[in-house]
Amino acid sequence: MKKIFFSLLLICSLGAVAQVDRSTQPKAGPAPEINLSKPQTFTLKNGLKVIVVENHKLPRVSYTLTLDNPPIAENDKVGAASISGALLGKGSTSISKDDYNEEVDYMGARVSFGPQYASASGLSQYSDRILELLADAAINPNFTQEEFEKEQTILIEGLKTNEKSVEAAAGTVSRALLYGKNHPKGEFETPEAVKKVTLADAKAFYNKAFIPNNAYLVVVGDVNFKDIKKEVSKNFKDWKKGTDLSNDFKAPENLTATEIDFVDMPNAVQSQVIVENLVDLKMSDTDYFPVLMANQILGGGGEGRLFLNLREDKGYTYGAYSNISDSKYGKTSFSASASVRNMVTDSSVVAFLEEIDNIRQEPVSQKDLKNAKAKYIGSFVRSLEQPSTVARFALNIETENLPEDFYQNYLSKINAVTIQDVQRVAKKYFLSDNARIIIAGKGSEVLDNLEKVQFKGKTIPVKYYDKEANPVEKPEYEVAMPEGVTAATVFSNYIKAIGGKEAIANVNSIVMMGEGSVQGTPLKLTIKKTTKDQFLQEISVMGNVTSKQVLNGDTASISAQGQTMTPSEEQITELKKESAIVPELNMMNNASIKLEKIEKVDGENAYVIALTDTKKAFYATESGLKLKEETTQEMQGQTFVQTVIYDDYKPAGAILVPYKLSQSMGPQNIEFTFTEIKVNEGVSDADFQ
Amino acid sequence: MKKTLFSIASILALSFTATAQEVEFEEYDLDNGLHVILHQDNTAPVVTTAVMYHVGGKDREDGRTGFAHFFEHLLFEGTENIEKGKWFEIVSSNGGTNNANTSQDRTYYYEVFPSNNLELGLWMESERMLHPIIKQEGVDTQNEVVKEERRLRYDNSPYGQFLFAISEQLFDEHPYKDPNVGYMEDLDAASLEEFQSYFDKYYKPSNAALVVAGAIDVAETKKMIQDYFGPIPSGPALERSYPKEAPITESKRSQFYDSNIQVPAILTAYRTPGYGSRDAYVLNMISSYLSDGKSSKLYKKMVDEEKKALQIGAINLEQEDYGMYIIFGLPLGETSLEILVDGMEEEINKLRNTLISESDYEKLQNKAETNFVNSNSSVEGIANTLARDYMLYDDTNLINTEIDIYRSITREEIKEVANKYLKPNQRVEVEYLPKKEEQ
Repeated sequence: MKKIFFSLLLICSLGAVAQVDRSTQPKAGPAPEINLSKPQTFTLKNGLKVIVVENHKLPRVSYTLTLDNPPIAENDKVGAASISGALLGKGSTSISKDDYNEEVDYMGARVSFGPQYASASGLSQYSDRILELLADAAINPNFTQEEFEKEQTILIEGLKTNEKSVEAAAGTVSRALLYGKNHPKGEFETPEAVKKVTLADAKAFYNKAFIPNNAYLVVVGDVNFKDIKKEVSKNFKDWKKGTDLSNDFKAPENLTATEIDFVDMPNAVQSQVIVENLVDLKMSDTDYFPVLMANQILGGGGEGRLFLNLREDKGYTYGAYSNISDSKYGKTSFSASASVRNMVTDSSVVAFLEEIDNIRQEPVSQKDLKNAKAKYIGSFVRSLEQPSTVARFALNIETENLPEDFYQNYLSKINAVTIQDVQRVAKKYFLSDNARIIIAGKGSEVLDNLEKVQFKGKTIPVKYYDKEANPVEKPEYEVAMPEGVTAATVFSNYIKAIGGKEAIANVNSIVMMGEGSVQGTPLKLTIKKTTKDQFLQEISVMGNVTSKQVLNGDTASISAQGQTMTPSEEQITELKKESAIVPELNMMNNASIKLEKIEKVDGENAYVIALTDTKKAFYATESGLKLKEETTQEMQGQTFVQTVIYDDYKPAGAILVPYKLSQSMGPQNIEFTFTEIKVNEGVSDADFQ
Repeated sequence: MKKTLFSIASILALSFTATAQEVEFEEYDLDNGLHVILHQDNTAPVVTTAVMYHVGGKDREDGRTGFAHFFEHLLFEGTENIEKGKWFEIVSSNGGTNNANTSQDRTYYYEVFPSNNLELGLWMESERMLHPIIKQEGVDTQNEVVKEERRLRYDNSPYGQFLFAISEQLFDEHPYKDPNVGYMEDLDAASLEEFQSYFDKYYKPSNAALVVAGAIDVAETKKMIQDYFGPIPSGPALERSYPKEAPITESKRSQFYDSNIQVPAILTAYRTPGYGSRDAYVLNMISSYLSDGKSSKLYKKMVDEEKKALQIGAINLEQEDYGMYIIFGLPLGETSLEILVDGMEEEINKLRNTLISESDYEKLQNKAETNFVNSNSSVEGIANTLARDYMLYDDTNLINTEIDIYRSITREEIKEVANKYLKPNQRVEVEYLPKKEEQ
């Protein structure tokens, strides 16, 4: 029977194939019906408002406690809020931390706490006990000095782990400059500030902020309203009312003209670009829906103009988006951002500004607006799948002072937005002429072009900040070459610095014995050189020689890891050059050696000299000493740079010799310290056989 | 107070009656081999259309890594009937959302639409399967995008390369040794013809599963599926073979450098069995025992009490052919990586030599129960699980029965599995270290 049925179906469907025209996009069916249920609510005497959504589809429950406070300044105690949040949930005044954690885990439940937030979820068979534990830890917290110190250390370490994060640096500087460092939204944690916070500060923050005055508890899941009302009242009735918090901060201002604020991040392989400005926007504003549409068209997702331009068209980035936030507590921001590759940082800035300017100057198309509306309508419909959506709607109506029918009218409000509305709000909220452009990136690679960025015929000024948003001087990567300096003068300064021609001429041999380590393994290094084209370099690990290079006049051998090879004549010539006690002596009159520029080596200015196409040497402009050598190698299509850093110059006989040498290639780094250097002794011809 | 708490908890634990609602589904094959799974849920007027292809990072030639992930980008470029660059616009302008992701084993594409756009979702997925446009222009654009993704997610992100660092040590032969995202030079070197033949090889109905879940009319949906997917040619049979790995019998240690970090990390890893093996479920329980929740053994000891670690975690990263069991830690303050390794081994040693306590065992069961309830909480998630269970576990109904496997795992089995896979000589250790600027 089944078979017959199937073949019938097949015949029917084969017939149907012809009827489907896949060359045109299928039309949508009639709009589905939307049912918005209303949650049940009640309020406790202390002010806590409770929103309950019963949903019995799955045997689980979730509780979310949010505090609708204005932003709170931490001033010189930034970190007190984070630590107070981290200390919550460590048991209560009557349950030890270990017992608390054990019981939460035992039930398979989750609890989480923040400075102004608490939540818990789990199986509904444990719903009462989960609520009890949540309330107890939130209202009767267990702040101890021991836990405080631990959380303080963790916070500091956490800040350290982010120290090199390009995105984090851009975020910190962005908020600090946008709102000002003294505004609660511009404050940020630093290891130094967190060190100053005490247990009393954390407690004070909790006492001030964790109050029921403007608190909301949202309950969603497999519960019964009558029971939950009883349980919530029982568990939260002792939560004491606090003093209402003030929202009295100096309002930050937008820039009078667009500028770039640059943060140098030498490790960056991408630049973080944020184009932003301050806005005044509340959910209850008439501009709210037009702003949603304008932002959606500009950068709301994979079909936004920013994404299509910067990613799909130009391939600058993995994603480019814009965002605008709203608040009843003062200014928020509009921002457009992307992580772009170093080379296109300047072009990305222009692309961002052009897109922002375009939506201000040109009316959007009917189609753009229609698509943006469809996206919001779809998102609204899809969100109804989650029972928490109904609770969120109710919470917003309460906290954002919205009319009761705000969500009933949501779709019609979106549909009512016009093209003129979009342009009007784009002009009002997206400021291409007063934008703050935050860029965190690798200055040595991106700054040259960034300083040339023009928009509407004007060059955009660039200001420089450190990672903590302090203004700094423009980072210097190159210094102007003083007149009269040539490769030869650099070499002769170097020779003078290490003791002079005469002293060097008196050196017939040198022996250098050193110790080092590679990835924890101790190594011994021996170098011997004479003026008779003799050179020996030996590396041994625990008494075994693992690599050895020998040059003796015109013969040479190189062995490593048990393999021996005979170098070619060219290699021998190279080896001879390097084996000279001071190779620079022979380079004085070599016209192919060029002085390139001045660059920093570990903060010190140095002359960069190209010895060959692939090898560069760096000599300090002040001391004349050689600081570094760099050799570029190609291996399997990849370019590697091998560097040798010379440090700790000290006398050996009549000349100065670097007692420290560190060599690195890729991730490998070997450091050697010479323990013994002998001049004109300890060498015999037999050493080079 | 404490005593009463516990007795209440254990009474409750005995009454394990609550179970997640059974996920009902229907499955069948089209003539061209496409496997179809339907799940009806009319709670909200929303529908998910999803296709999982049995192709992932491990399906590649040497020197041509990252193809599967690259396709996940390329196949949004357009089809014969969907203009280049219009994919996202069509989805969002019809109130939908969409995304895709690639693992070493499979690639997953999906859309979620208001239910009146079911036909649109089916049309788009069938277009992608039947005749996507694979041209040099699209390859070039997406190559740049993938490179930026790699920089963003891995090269520029603190600890972003930790999985690469482990895989290359845990595998010598199997393609799992290479990053799923691939090496940039491999993608640069690949020709258009290679991409086209990769599509022909892997993107065909018999190597795919279609899931439609949500507010649907089953009969109508079946007809639409036949209309849009029925005519897609089935293509030749696919042969797969992946190299086997010799067991790890001696622990080895290596270093990996990341320029985005300040605090080092230690990563230890063991090679474990692939999807569907009962031992893999036991290993999931062991992870939960070691690091899920504040009372878990490693967290409580090393982060909370001894304050040696900033963070510690145990993950059983399941894959089709072999899993990776990873325990990682970030030291706090002056603690050496060695001390972290010792602390981890101490707990695993206990697992190998003693049975876990009854109460810890009940806790693991409660956790498994909670995970099970939560895993079926969205239609979008159910669609993904159905496709996965069919394709990688060969048992679509696992969505309803997986919990029975956890319920049947015993304390003795936990000890056994720890002895089988988590011995020190089976361990790979990677010191994940900050890279200095000049390196």
